[in-house]
Amino acid sequence: MSPPMNFDLLNIRFPKTLDEAVAFQADERTRGRLLAGGTDLMVQWAAGAPPPQRLISIWGLPELSAIRVSKEMVEIGAGVTHAFLRDCTDIRAHVPALVAAAASVGATQIQARGTLGGNAANASPAGDTAPALLVTDGMVMLASAQRFRTVPLTAFWTGYRQTAAQPDEIIAAFLLPKKGRSVERFRKIGTRKAQAISKIMAASRIRLHGGTIESAAIALGSVAATPIRLGKVEAFLAGKKLSRRLVEEAEALAQASVAPIADIRSSAEYRRWTAGRLVRDALENLQ
Amino acid sequence: MKTKSRCNPTRHIGTGMLRVDAADKVRGKTQYLNDRTYPGALHATVVRSPTARGILKSLTLDPAYDWKGVTVATAEDIPGENVMVMHDRSMPLMGAVGAELRYRGEPVAVVAAATAEKSMEAADHVRLDIEQRPALLTLAEAIALFKKSPKKLELLKTQNIEKGDIRRGFAEADEVLEAEYWAGHQEQLYLENQGLIVFPRKDGSIYVEGSIQCPYFPVNELNAALDLPPEKIRVKQTPIGGAFGGKEDYPSMLAGYAALPALKAKKPVKITYERHEDMLFTPKRHPVWVRFKTGFKKDGTLTAIECDYILDGGAYLTISDVVMYRGILHCALAYRCENVLIRGKVARTNSMPNGAFRGFGAPQAIWGLESHIDAIAEKVGKRPDAYRLQIHARPGDRTPTGQLLTEDNGSTHCLDLVLQRSDFAEKFKQASRGKLRKGQNKYYGIGLSFFAHGSAFTGDGEAKFKAKGRVELALLEDGRPGVNIRVSSTEMGQGVHTIFTQIAADGLSLTPERIRFPYADTGMAPNSGPTVASRTTMVVGNVVYRAAQDLRNQIEAFASRRYFKGAAARMRHSKLHAKGFRALPFLRVARDMREELGEVNGAFQFILPDTVQWDQSRFKGDSYPGYSWSANVAEVEIDPLTLELTVTRVFDVIDIGRVINPMTATGQVEGGLTQALGYAVMEKMGTGKNGLFDASRLQTYIVPTALDVPNYDVKFVEYPYPFAPPGAKGLGELPMDGLAPAIANAIETAIGVRLRSLPITPEDLFNAVIPPA
Repeated sequence: MSPPMNFDLLNIRFPKTLDEAVAFQADERTRGRLLAGGTDLMVQWAAGAPPPQRLISIWGLPELSAIRVSKEMVEIGAGVTHAFLRDCTDIRAHVPALVAAAASVGATQIQARGTLGGNAANASPAGDTAPALLVTDGMVMLASAQRFRTVPLTAFWTGYRQTAAQPDEIIAAFLLPKKGRSVERFRKIGTRKAQAISKIMAASRIRLHGGTIESAAIALGSVAATPIRLGKVEAFLAGKKLSRRLVEEAEALAQASVAPIADIRSSAEYRRWTAGRLVRDALENLQ
Repeated sequence: MKTKSRCNPTRHIGTGMLRVDAADKVRGKTQYLNDRTYPGALHATVVRSPTARGILKSLTLDPAYDWKGVTVATAEDIPGENVMVMHDRSMPLMGAVGAELRYRGEPVAVVAAATAEKSMEAADHVRLDIEQRPALLTLAEAIALFKKSPKKLELLKTQNIEKGDIRRGFAEADEVLEAEYWAGHQEQLYLENQGLIVFPRKDGSIYVEGSIQCPYFPVNELNAALDLPPEKIRVKQTPIGGAFGGKEDYPSMLAGYAALPALKAKKPVKITYERHEDMLFTPKRHPVWVRFKTGFKKDGTLTAIECDYILDGGAYLTISDVVMYRGILHCALAYRCENVLIRGKVARTNSMPNGAFRGFGAPQAIWGLESHIDAIAEKVGKRPDAYRLQIHARPGDRTPTGQLLTEDNGSTHCLDLVLQRSDFAEKFKQASRGKLRKGQNKYYGIGLSFFAHGSAFTGDGEAKFKAKGRVELALLEDGRPGVNIRVSSTEMGQGVHTIFTQIAADGLSLTPERIRFPYADTGMAPNSGPTVASRTTMVVGNVVYRAAQDLRNQIEAFASRRYFKGAAARMRHSKLHAKGFRALPFLRVARDMREELGEVNGAFQFILPDTVQWDQSRFKGDSYPGYSWSANVAEVEIDPLTLELTVTRVFDVIDIGRVINPMTATGQVEGGLTQALGYAVMEKMGTGKNGLFDASRLQTYIVPTALDVPNYDVKFVEYPYPFAPPGAKGLGELPMDGLAPAIANAIETAIGVRLRSLPITPEDLFNAVIPPA
């Protein structure tokens, strides 16, 4: 059995600004593991993962806490909590799938601590907000001591628990195009109705005009090493007339284009089947 | 017919009195084991077998490690016999060098040090050399072996029940239906993990306190291993944060583990598990395989019930024999049938020995039977409600062991009322049966289960045991007189402190404010038996009531002599009354009585009437002192898109005899139903190739949250137990017994497919209804 975590022994720093935080990260000698809400890290440590040498707390940094809504975009600071997203009426009309995803995270207490940036940085394939971020075709803004740079969200998750962020970078914000006339949907299948890690979840942003699909963005979580976009299904749907037959074909194509694994939460077969079912669900709820 | 209670009109029994422990618990004042500080105590870590089966060739201490301040105890340090007495003396306290280790996690040493961290670190430096042997890990493997060649299966215990002539029963049948049912492990998941502390005393005795459901068990268990007479072992419960059976047999082992280094180091040793260790290495509900073969007439009349009931006992028998007995006694209990053959077995596997869990074998039996009864109903073209009304057991019938059901069995009333409250017949018509009906966007189903649960110990357990209890006149913490209830029943969240306070208050006609129920302590309370088997309110409650009456008689006799010139005195509402005299308050009389007489006790010992007879060798007769009855209805919705399942409503009508406290009783039912909901549709524990459970954390072992809980409709009907004045029968286990089959039956009406293995998850529904791609 692993000894319980002794928090007295943690070496933790509390920068007051983003500048201070990126300065810590710039130097290997002061660099630490970033700690935001702690809802993922604390669980990993409690389960026996070795705690890091140094921690840099970015919880509550003012630069990471803002939400800005402009004409085309919604900009969400990485430190914004799921609870804030869930309750923020200003963004609900523009990124409804993300709001729904935030409301599906864990339970009230976890939503109050967990942050959007933390969920992205943890890079779990089961991260609840990732598919909803992916379908916006937005960008993630990364901050380092030298510069800010943006990376498309579709290029951010590079492998199992890996991201495109460099060791000296901190996720600062998400720049998400508004959905406009598109219809968004989010659906999570968890192991129970709250406090659940996803068996699978789907987010979609689909634009329908006069019965024809103009564009479709569909993303799934928990079916691969990273959250993924269903590029083949999206390409298949684009420009096609919505029909019962099209929905069936898209469902089958989705099932054929994923290769999920079995784990303690679900079976590979159920995940493959529901991948298609959730694509069907998105297409059947466009009006 | 509803029988009349023999109780006098009372003031507290039957009321929803606020729990006596509520204020301290909600304010966080209650001090559980890990809230307490024990200066100078060492902390122990168990060193466990890393393999599911093998011979322990050697056990050595890493010479490079600094062992200063560390006490290591092994089998060699056991002062007495290396044995847990349990029921067959087969399980050692510690795996010894040269012996066979039979499950992953079997203890081979205990390491104690000043801190838990240090003891865990040191435990990693105990080196084990083990010669591997092939292991049989699961019940599935065992049953595969059993089907191939029954003799190959290693059995720890067998027992049959026979009634009538099974061959004649099948000969008389028009049809025969056979099916198998499975259920897996279930974890008790008490909020407070296992833990206790052992103090070695200078006089050679030991004192144990901790989260212990049955304080007399460690006393009985340790006397062989520690070679200590029972009077030198004192055990007290600390406040318990839930147990559900999980702290029935296991704390005896834990006390053994802690006692060895405590005796060696001559220091108190505390042992407490964190969640992961608790889930991996403590007993669970027994997995079951049960096969029913039934013969019946065209109208459904049962002519034969044949049943094989096999439990996964794990590596050692421990208490699995009695779990199996209770299981087989519930395999055909609730229905009329003249020809019954039930074959019970406990199979040995190389896994953590399974133990007590709310229901104790009965939920596994009822799961199979209630699924099977629905299947028969379908076969004979009857609705499940009408069919159960036709064949259910009622007063005048005899059970499979020949026990006559008397008028205190409210079976028919439970069934009638649950059908009426749930509007079953009407809703049954709306069930989807695999096709959405007009207006439905989810598959809808409704299912029924009906069952009895034997209250108290199986067979002649209570008659032999003769539970003892006292009610003593004492000075309370405010320096004024009152009474202490002295029984060994433990408060573990179920509310016994409140219930017994109510019962004592009515037995004495004394205000509950002057009654205390100190935590169970073998040094202070006589043995009223373990807090198990839905026996506490029925059996020990009766002891408390009669002891209270005894004390009341003594107080009245004293008052008559001392104050009333021999006139008959009567204690009512905390005052002593006698005709022609001014009433005197209890406080004054009790003070005078203590001054004059010293210790004053009311006492009682439980006895059963001679008419209750049990023959253990033939397994015939009155298998339980009494029966509680219950009928459950579950409504489910299944999403056609994803096959996600929601249990939307649950109805439960229960006959538990006299309801002592409707508020706590309802709470206990709703809590138990929620535990049963998890058993039915969520809680899943597989075994990995390494012999460890795959779901061993709260993250992976899925239990219902508040959002998963359906609306409950709980109703009691009262058929009081005639042999005990308070009139209560068993309650604790009933809510765990029958919800799983009610849900499975509801699922069958929703999608038209019967699922025969618990838990039933969306993945199982998928496998059942979606053809492979």
